[in-house]
Amino acid sequence: MSSNATCSDMFTLRGDLGAPSFLPWIARHAGRLGIIGRVTAASADEVSLLVEGPPDLVDAMELGVSLGPIDVWVESIERESLLLRP
Amino acid sequence: MTDNPMLNEWYPVGILTELTSEGRDTLLMGEPIHVARDAGGNPVVATKDGRCLPVRARYGHVWTSLGTPAKELFDIPEADQPGRRLVDVGVVRVKCSPLRAVENFLDIAHFPFVHTDILGAEPHTEVQRYEVQIREEVDEVWATKVKFYQPQAAKSAEGGITTDYMYRVPAPTVSILYKTCPPRPGEWDVITLFVQPMAEDLCQVWPWMALFDDQTPMTDLIHFQQMIFLQDRSILENQLPRLLPLDPGMEIPTRADMTSVAYRRWLKRHGFTYGAQLVAA
Repeated sequence: MSSNATCSDMFTLRGDLGAPSFLPWIARHAGRLGIIGRVTAASADEVSLLVEGPPDLVDAMELGVSLGPIDVWVESIERESLLLRP
Repeated sequence: MTDNPMLNEWYPVGILTELTSEGRDTLLMGEPIHVARDAGGNPVVATKDGRCLPVRARYGHVWTSLGTPAKELFDIPEADQPGRRLVDVGVVRVKCSPLRAVENFLDIAHFPFVHTDILGAEPHTEVQRYEVQIREEVDEVWATKVKFYQPQAAKSAEGGITTDYMYRVPAPTVSILYKTCPPRPGEWDVITLFVQPMAEDLCQVWPWMALFDDQTPMTDLIHFQQMIFLQDRSILENQLPRLLPLDPGMEIPTRADMTSVAYRRWLKRHGFTYGAQLVAA
């Protein structure tokens, strides 16, 4: 895999996700990583998130989101790879 | 602090063999306590206003709790395994969050940079992929299949070896490390970090070991482990924020930090927040 490779993954987060702080937090964290993190669907117990960027940073996004802000509990993250382009 | 779940956990407050009848004063989560030995030689712990606290004598240390522990003190089966040397390393006071001290112990990536030419060395800096899980049946954090190159993995090691590790967190301020045992392949050396939370940003660290090593003098074993921890202390006392962030915020965890993230998730789930920063700075 080249160092410039980009992956595009769909994250499905489940848990206690209803706090209003969560979606802005996701956008902020993706911004800090310099990758795309776009929420495509959201409810109090499930959030779908499209994440695009270098694989190591997409991994970092998964780790960061698994912790999340203090008023949110992410029980699980299902990750589906959409594409990988060099 | 009455609804703090950490009140009901066990904490180390002294070394069993160093107890005296006069005892000594110390702090546990901001509460002044007195640790002593009674006429029968048993450890006793009381608060300043005379309230007797529950006590356990295990793993070379006195353990107590300010609350009512729902669980018995965690088990380390290796402590009773014949042939192991049990080492009370001593105490190191550190001006840092007790949770930071545990997290630092779980961090492999710092070895080449902080414990240079002992527990790690450049260019062997990559942390290979390993597995982390919260074992629900025992409610503990475990990291397994951890491998790291070490120039001198233990006092008994001769030359560099790739060391296998397992990490275990059975209580909020306790971490247990299992690592390759150079003189006895197939067994694990056990190195623990027992942390006494004195305040949210102050702790005493009581390392303890259960090793298969018949050769190394006891003072050398103690000095080796103390040297390692003193190298960590200067890092710990300069970390910002001082409390352990449970919101990643400005810290960007990466794959090498999987154990730290699992530890923080476990703390968050249980409401173990004494020494934690809840909102990102």
